[in-house]
Amino acid sequence: MLKTFLSHQSKSFWRSRNKGSSIATQIILGFFMLYFLVLAVGAGFSMPYLLPKIFANQNVITSFNGLILYYFALDFIMRLQLQELPTLSIIPYLHLKIKRSQIISFLNVKSLFSAFNLWPFFLFLPFIFMRIAPTYGAFATIMYIIAIFSIAIFNNYLVLYIKRKTISNVLYTAVGLIIIAGFAALEYYKVISIMAASDFVFKAVALHPYIGFAFTIAAFLIFKINSDFLRKNLYTEELSSKQEKKGSTDYAFLNRFGKVGELAALELKLILRHKRSRSSVILGFFFLLYGFLFYKTPAIDGDKFGQMMFGAIFMTGVSIIIYGQFMFAWQSAHFDGLLSAKINFKDFIKAKFLLFTIASSIITLLASFYGFLSPKLLLLQLAAYLYNIGFGTVIVLYLATLNKKRLDITKAASFNYQGTSATQFLLMFPYALTPILLYVPFGMMDMPYWGLIVVAIFGLAMLLMRGFWVDVITAKFEKQRYKIAEGFRE
Amino acid sequence: MILEIKNLKKVYGDKTVVNIEHVQIEQGETIGLVGNNGAGKTTFFRMLLDLIRPTEGEVLSKGENVMLKDDWKNYTASFLDEGFLIDYLTPEEYFIFIGSLHDLSVADVSAYLAQYAEFFNGEILNSGKYIRDFSKGNQNKVGIAAALMQKPEILILDEPFANLDPTTQIRLKKLLKEHPGNMTTFISSHDLNHVTDVCNRIILVEKGHVIKDFKTDENTLKELESYFSA
Repeated sequence: MLKTFLSHQSKSFWRSRNKGSSIATQIILGFFMLYFLVLAVGAGFSMPYLLPKIFANQNVITSFNGLILYYFALDFIMRLQLQELPTLSIIPYLHLKIKRSQIISFLNVKSLFSAFNLWPFFLFLPFIFMRIAPTYGAFATIMYIIAIFSIAIFNNYLVLYIKRKTISNVLYTAVGLIIIAGFAALEYYKVISIMAASDFVFKAVALHPYIGFAFTIAAFLIFKINSDFLRKNLYTEELSSKQEKKGSTDYAFLNRFGKVGELAALELKLILRHKRSRSSVILGFFFLLYGFLFYKTPAIDGDKFGQMMFGAIFMTGVSIIIYGQFMFAWQSAHFDGLLSAKINFKDFIKAKFLLFTIASSIITLLASFYGFLSPKLLLLQLAAYLYNIGFGTVIVLYLATLNKKRLDITKAASFNYQGTSATQFLLMFPYALTPILLYVPFGMMDMPYWGLIVVAIFGLAMLLMRGFWVDVITAKFEKQRYKIAEGFRE
Repeated sequence: MILEIKNLKKVYGDKTVVNIEHVQIEQGETIGLVGNNGAGKTTFFRMLLDLIRPTEGEVLSKGENVMLKDDWKNYTASFLDEGFLIDYLTPEEYFIFIGSLHDLSVADVSAYLAQYAEFFNGEILNSGKYIRDFSKGNQNKVGIAAALMQKPEILILDEPFANLDPTTQIRLKKLLKEHPGNMTTFISSHDLNHVTDVCNRIILVEKGHVIKDFKTDENTLKELESYFSA
């Protein structure tokens, strides 16, 4: 059965309409993975020699032990951002003579094929064999390996569990982020130390190796919880959701924009009435916290806007990036209707610009509380905002005309494992690099404010050219519309 | 002549799905497109609506190629499948949206919908549901009513009778028959009884080709039945 699923999966990959771009994505990701694997191997073998140099005043094994949990904490955050949920659209299989447990175990097994599960071995095994084995003997060595393996598995399923939960409930994202932020703060202010804790734990493993099984038990538990969650949610959600009376709404403030406002209101309803899009909006508000990551005191004091640019761009443009990456596909279910209705394509495109502009303006206003850290940040964010609405919108909408993949937003969120993945980060390259490249020469010439002005003027110029860009994108859209419609009909 | 199809072809790979040499449609005609699955009916309709790019040939609506100009959208209404509905809206919102595209006020729309009380059978309006929560039959009703509301000169419906309950089928036939004289209607159907009843011209297609194109009379149903049972 597992083999059949795998073959269906590969067929769905190779036969998809977006084959070209998804292959390209996979190749680029593959290179990244390979690169990091090589780094991990290198780091793994050099660790016995490097550690004494970095942590000169402590025992090398203490340093090594201290690193393990630290690594996995980072690993956890990385996975949260990058690891994809194993996808398989299960609905066609549910009514067949296939056991639920088989479907679940397929999803579980597939998730193990992730580079994240390889890195710890390359990173830690060399040191374990070179230093731990001679010092503590065979049993401790085996338990070290089992413990590390178990933590990797634990992280793997914990992240999947959290991701599955957060897709169905945004509240979990909030709680998770707050917990992580709390730990980071405690570590930062030296209240606790992950390194010391990690050393404590692995010292124990070295002395009483069987303690290592605690990790295995933890991993097994989270695996169980994850499977149970999947098992329970293999039902279409609609069955359980309660029926409430739906009313009609009218967004008066959009009426002043005429037909364009009409279309924007339509899309606003789309966003608010689907779980998937709604949670991506709410996620956008959480990204307001990105500033605390990027706006570091030394960077602010040194006017190093280049370092903070990415954070500012991402925060103020988050709605454009997150919603825009699936642009047009949100409407794939009724795309034919839109094309054949009496809608001017130009109005259609303008409505998207309008919506992006409104969303980005709101977020930027909210983000201005960073002005309390330093008023300079307001300038930075203003430049980023102008760039986002001026040029970011153009990039996103232009790329949208190339996107032909249907998005099923009506499907229950817990089935919808397509989405948040590394793919969206690829969109970020042209988007985030442009302003940074604009800024960098000025940053290097030590004229940071000129850099900001250039970014702002660039954004403003593009904003003034919006009429032109609308025409460009409309023309592209007209050309692509048959292909887009065909893809969406799948 | 309101619609003209010239040498229209759609090829997928090495398979020709639609291949229609020349068809002229006069204003006020009600045309039934009949054919088995795979005859190319839906593909043909999609090309009429500029949703698929023809491999060859053109569709002229009032003399203008539908691919080049948008004017046909002003007087053409259609409902092919649920893909034409914006399913996260309530029916009222959907009607108002479609109405607004044709510059109808909310009051106009309500007045119009009042006529359809019978057709809707009390299940559509004020139901407190989004369109996606309706059954397929009721979704069809919304789509058909929204199309008719646009007071089109050309109406295109793909299998409008499918999924409808018997009462509604009869009501729909009545609606289509008594609709004002200058509306040109294009419907496809697998139900030979209904098409011959409603339409005054039948176009029979098979594997993309027009096999027969004739006016209906009392013998049409028998003719069609014998053709399809052969």
